[in-house]
Amino acid sequence: MSTKTILADQQKTGSGGFSWGLALSAVSGLLMLAALYMALVGAPDAVNLTSPAERAAQRIFYFHVPAAWIGFLAFIVAAGASLMYLITRRQRWDMWALASVEIGVVFFAMVMLSGPIWAKPTWNVWWTWDPRLTISTISWLLYLGYLMLRGAIDNPDRQARFGAVYALIAAISVPINWVAIRWWRTIHPAVVLPGNNSAAQGEFGMSADIRNTLLFCLFAFTVFYIMLMYHRINLENLKRRVDTLRQQILYR
Amino acid sequence: MGSLSYLAAGYAVFWIVSFVFIYSLVSRQRSLQKEVEMLEHLAAEEADRQG
Repeated sequence: MSTKTILADQQKTGSGGFSWGLALSAVSGLLMLAALYMALVGAPDAVNLTSPAERAAQRIFYFHVPAAWIGFLAFIVAAGASLMYLITRRQRWDMWALASVEIGVVFFAMVMLSGPIWAKPTWNVWWTWDPRLTISTISWLLYLGYLMLRGAIDNPDRQARFGAVYALIAAISVPINWVAIRWWRTIHPAVVLPGNNSAAQGEFGMSADIRNTLLFCLFAFTVFYIMLMYHRINLENLKRRVDTLRQQILYR
Repeated sequence: MGSLSYLAAGYAVFWIVSFVFIYSLVSRQRSLQKEVEMLEHLAAEEADRQG
């Protein structure tokens, strides 16, 4: 493919998106504010919690669970895009994978920071080497490693190829993390499905109000993820355009 | 810590991390945009010079 064709393609992908990006950002911002209102004001107190600190901290759940969901989603999208890259060798898929991993790492950082803040009033410890917490930490470090690996390779083709293989291998941590609370004895609550481990401490059922608030927050976070993906992919496109222009000027 | 302190700290994490990430996206976008304009200008000048 000639440099002119690459530049035209990058121009096409990168332009004309401003109004869509703005609209998506506005909708996402409003949904996040609505989610915040529902989580802090709209949702009722959890009745099975005794202390006021526990009841207040339980509301972290409405952002903690959706952030974890986006982390999982982002890593699965990255694995899918990486597979598509290895099959087609199209740069677009590599951009999707990189954007998704970066966003996933950011959301997992939220999970890793908010978890201990919720754990302290509930479990009376900031951290415990529970299977779910340990696997989440490993998963987060694995994807930080993905970003570091890409940063350490100069050749763009090798960067994309190595990144794709790495993202596919790292994605194994997602299903393991998902089932960790059912496979091993854990104090982490099973939120989405009833756990097989009925003896797990902290497991709770949800009232309709709590469930609806959680579902709304999951929706708001998913739109937030789509909005961030849109902007991050545009950014990557711009970065690659800069690289192509540099090469065009240098090797003329 | 008071009963609302954990809640405030928990939500502060989400908003601070989100804003830092969005700020990093915007600042990277601005700097790349400037670089694209400069490089396009250079490329056009070079093309003019070569006739």
